[in-house]
Amino acid sequence: MSADMTAAAPAPESGSGVIHNIGYRRYDGRRLGRAQIVLALTWQSLRAAFGIGRGAKAKIVPAILFVLMCLPAAINAVALATNPSGGALVGYDNYVVSLRSLVMLVFVAVQAPHLVSGDLRNHTLPLYFARPIRRIDYPAAKLAAFVLACLLMIEIPLLILYIGNVSQVHGAKAVWAQTRQLGPGLLYGLAWAVLLASIGLALASTTGRRVFATCTIGIPLFFSYILSHALFMIGRQAYGPVAPGQESALASLSGLISPFTLLGGVLRWLQGPPKPGRPLQVSQVTLVGHYGDVYGLVFLILLAAAVGALVARYRKLAVA
Amino acid sequence: MIGESTPQAGGQSRRPALEAVIQADGLTKRYGATVTALDQLTVNVGAGVTGLIGANGAGKSTLIKILLGLVDPTSGRAAVLGHDCASEGFAIRTLTGYMPEHDCLPPDVTATEFVTHMGRMSGLPATAAKERAADSLRHVGLYEERYRQIGTHSTGMKQRVKLAQALVGDPRLLLLDEPTNGLDPAGRAEMLELIARIGSEFGISMLVASHLLGEIEQICDHVVAIDAGRLLRADSISSVTRVSQVLLVEVDEGADLLIAELARRGLAPVSYERGLLVQLAGDETFDAVRDAVADLGLPLSRMEQRRHRIEELFRADPAAAESGQPGSARVGPAADLTTGVSRVS
Repeated sequence: MSADMTAAAPAPESGSGVIHNIGYRRYDGRRLGRAQIVLALTWQSLRAAFGIGRGAKAKIVPAILFVLMCLPAAINAVALATNPSGGALVGYDNYVVSLRSLVMLVFVAVQAPHLVSGDLRNHTLPLYFARPIRRIDYPAAKLAAFVLACLLMIEIPLLILYIGNVSQVHGAKAVWAQTRQLGPGLLYGLAWAVLLASIGLALASTTGRRVFATCTIGIPLFFSYILSHALFMIGRQAYGPVAPGQESALASLSGLISPFTLLGGVLRWLQGPPKPGRPLQVSQVTLVGHYGDVYGLVFLILLAAAVGALVARYRKLAVA
Repeated sequence: MIGESTPQAGGQSRRPALEAVIQADGLTKRYGATVTALDQLTVNVGAGVTGLIGANGAGKSTLIKILLGLVDPTSGRAAVLGHDCASEGFAIRTLTGYMPEHDCLPPDVTATEFVTHMGRMSGLPATAAKERAADSLRHVGLYEERYRQIGTHSTGMKQRVKLAQALVGDPRLLLLDEPTNGLDPAGRAEMLELIARIGSEFGISMLVASHLLGEIEQICDHVVAIDAGRLLRADSISSVTRVSQVLLVEVDEGADLLIAELARRGLAPVSYERGLLVQLAGDETFDAVRDAVADLGLPLSRMEQRRHRIEELFRADPAAAESGQPGSARVGPAADLTTGVSRVS
C-alpha cells in the first residue's frame, strides 16, 4: 500500500495524463490583423449562405435553387451536343430572365436572413464589436459574403453555358466570339448580385426573426415584380407603341418598380439603342424606350440606399 | 493604518500593481439631456481582481462599454492598459476579453464551434483558434458538453461558454458584466470560484461588475463602488472590511441585564440580534464589558470587534440601493466610513 502511495504521489506533479493539471497557457503566436479577421468572417458568412457548417436541412434550399439555375445551361449543352447546328438556346446576358428572377428572389429571401438574423436575435453583435474590428467591418463582411454567394448562383450557370457552347464550336475565332459574349454576361451578373445582395441584407437586418426577415424581403420583391409586369401590360395595351420599337412612357417606366425588371432595364441601357438587325425579345427583357438613363440612375440610387441602410443599421445598433 | 493606503499600493493585494490597468479621469457620459450614466468618474484600477459594484443603473455597463471603446464619453478620458479608450479602442479590444451581462449565444451551434469562431474574430489563426477554444472550454469546466448545441445547455453552462469566449483570445484584462446573472446558488458559487481561479492562477486582471455585494467581497482584491454614475469609493477589500470601532457582545442569556449594567457604567449599548453593540473607546471598554459580565455572572459566548461590511458603502439607503432605484443613495456613505480612508482621485 505504501509503495502505491509513493508511486502515485509524483504523478500530479509531472502532470502527464491528468487533464486537469494542465495550467493556463498564454498565446504568444501570430495574431491576425483587422483585414484577415474580416476575411475570416466573410468566409464563415459565405458558407452560411449555402448552409455549410449547419445541418443537412440547411443545405436543401440552396442546393435545389442552384440546380434549377444550372438546368438551362445543362439543357443547352445537351441540346448542342445532340444537334450542333441548332445554335445556342440561351444567351449570356439575358440568361433565362424569368427563371433567374424567381430563383434569386427565393435565394435572397431565404438565405440572406441566415447571415444576419441570428446575431441580431441572439444579441451576439456586442461580442463582435468587443473584438479588434471596427463597426463597419461586420456589415461589410456580411455584404461581401452575400454578394459572393449571389455571384456564385448567377455566374456558375453562365460558366457551364460557356463550357457547353465552347465544346461544340471549332476554331479559335469561334471560341473568342463566345468568350467575348461571356464577359458582359459575367459583368451583368455582378450587377444582379450586388443589387440583390444589398437589398436582401438591408431588409434582413431590420429584424432578428428569420421568418419575418424572409417575408420582409420576399413580399416586396415578389409583389413589385408582379406590379411591374401588370403596369407594363396596361401601358402597352392602353397606350400602345409611340413609334416602331418605342413603347409608351408607362410601359417603358414600369420596369423601375421591381429590382428584377430594373436590372432588365439596366441591361437594355448598357446595350444601347436596339440595332436593326437584332430584334428585341420583348417577353424577356424590360423595355426602356427613351428612359435608359433613368434605369441606370435608379439602379445606382437603389444600390446606394440599400448599402447605406445596411451600414446605418449596424452603426446605430446599441451595444447592449 | 490600512485605510490610508491607496488601492494601487494596497498591501493585501496578491499581485502588486506595477501600473494602472484602468484609468478614468473625469469620465462623464450623458444620454440626451436628462440621463447621466457616468458623472465625473475618476478612478484608477490596478492589476488583480477588482469588483465594480453598484445598483442596477449605476453606470457599470456604461463604464465597461467606454473602456472597450464602444461608446464615447461625453467628457473626460479613460485608458485601459495604457491605451486611450477614445482613440485606441482597437488596441484595447485586442488585449481585453468581454463577457456581457445579457444572453449572447447562438443556440444552434456547438460550444466548440462558437468559441472557435470567436477566437478567429479575436485574431487567432484557424489552428490556434481551435486549440485555444478547447483550452478555454476546459478551463471553464465544459467537457463533453462542448460538443452539444448551446441551445441544449443549462444556464450555468451558457455562462461558462460566455466566459470561455472572453478568455479565448488570451486577454490581459477581462471585463465581466454580472457574470453570475441568472445562476442558482450552486452555479453562482461555481462561477465565483472559477473567476477567482482565473484571477489567481492565470494571472489575468479582471474587472467584475456586480450588484451583489457578497460576490465582490468573496472574489475581489479591490472594490470600486459607484452610484448614480459617481464614485462612492475605490479601495482594497481588506480596508473596506477592516475592523470597526464597534464591539459585539453576545451572551447566552440575560442580554437585557447586561445592557442595563453597561449603561450604568457609562457606555451606550445597543441591542443587536442575540447580543449588543457598544462603541469602542479603548481597552477600558473591553475591561468594562468583562467586569459587567463577571459581576452579573452571565454566560459570555462571544465578544469581537466587528468588521465593516461592503454594504455600508451604500448605507445612505441600502434597501433602495439593492432594489435598484437610481439616485436613492446619492447622498453617499455615512461619514464614519469615509473618514480615515482616502478617496481615490
